[in-house]
Amino acid sequence: MNTFTRNPGTFVRLAAVASSGLLLAACASSPTAPAGAAAVRAELTRLQSDSQLATRAPKAIHDAEVAVAAAERPERGDADADAAHRVYMAERKVALARALATARLAEDQRPQLAQQRDEARLTARTEEAVAARDEAMTARAATTVAQQESIDLQREIDALRARPTDKGLVLTLGDVLFTTGRADLKQGALADVDRLVAFLNKYPDRTVTIEGHTDSVGSAASNETLSHNRADAVQSYLMQRGIDASRIQTRGMGETVTVASNATPGGRQQNRRVEIIVSNPQSPVGTM
Amino acid sequence: MTLAQPAVHATRPKHSLIFAACIAAGATFAAGCAGTPEPTEQLVAARQALTAAEQAQAVEHAADLMTESRTKLGLAEAAVRDDEMERAARLADEARIDAELATAQAAAMKAEAVNDEMRRSNETLLKEMQRQNGAGGTR
Repeated sequence: MNTFTRNPGTFVRLAAVASSGLLLAACASSPTAPAGAAAVRAELTRLQSDSQLATRAPKAIHDAEVAVAAAERPERGDADADAAHRVYMAERKVALARALATARLAEDQRPQLAQQRDEARLTARTEEAVAARDEAMTARAATTVAQQESIDLQREIDALRARPTDKGLVLTLGDVLFTTGRADLKQGALADVDRLVAFLNKYPDRTVTIEGHTDSVGSAASNETLSHNRADAVQSYLMQRGIDASRIQTRGMGETVTVASNATPGGRQQNRRVEIIVSNPQSPVGTM
Repeated sequence: MTLAQPAVHATRPKHSLIFAACIAAGATFAAGCAGTPEPTEQLVAARQALTAAEQAQAVEHAADLMTESRTKLGLAEAAVRDDEMERAARLADEARIDAELATAQAAAMKAEAVNDEMRRSNETLLKEMQRQNGAGGTR
């Protein structure tokens, strides 16, 4: 047990002497705050002026405030172990208040973070949905474009007034293109050829074969030459309009291939013609 | 004065005598009178705080504070044995606050780690979305 209970008188006297001596010493020197107290006060002030933390641990900060005030009490001399202890406690209590406030702040921020996460997830899902929808629309659009292209082609083929055959599309330019016995194209009938030019420009993988035909009037040899010349005239025109020569073949068939009887003027007129055969590319366009 | 009373009296009145004397000498210096009893409450509180810190696995985040707390508790117990009760009380208080601080700092670090992880995952999600948007929404 406590030693002083066995001999109280001695202790009381000692205590009285010691304490009055220390009190005198304290009075003699000007009171100063213990070393480190100022730093602890500064740390507390830093915590209290942190708008994020100051309100989040009110009790701990109050306790720290009390402890710091205690730490600032003047020392009672160099041997004042309690002064160092008070500073230590104050420093720890400020740190404790900061830690508690920090934990609280983190907890307070959590719902917002969770909300941000939910929003981000929602956005991600929405983005995915939008992307999926866009993809579907693109696919649909691609289908539509493909369909439209084939519709366009058919329309253009129709516009050419070309006949689908095994050889390909056959466009027949009537003899109205040419003056009888001459090979130069008449201006008025160029619209058909111009449509062909537009068609060939749009479908560059297609080539043409131009065949010249005549009726049976005149010698076979001259008719063959004439048919050649007429085919060449059409070729020249196509080349003038920018179609590459490599895409064009010409043949003079003379009077050998007839489409009607040469016995009548109407039949002969039908036989005087230039046929332009447009090759089929990969799939036979004419069968569409 | 009461000093004249026989020493066979119970210890309680003697305490009163001592404290009266101390108050007479100076109220603030009462603790200096060596009349301090064993700081049982402070020691118990310090041990409880340490146990709580251990249970909270504060050692993972605040190992130094835990060591300091244990050392001080040991010193406090030694001080009791040496009959240095004031010193024992101070050490017990310090051991307690060290353990409490260890618990609080560990909790704060854990809480912040959770938030940091959430922030990171949110950023990753946003970046992933931006990357996808940057690639024209194709996957």
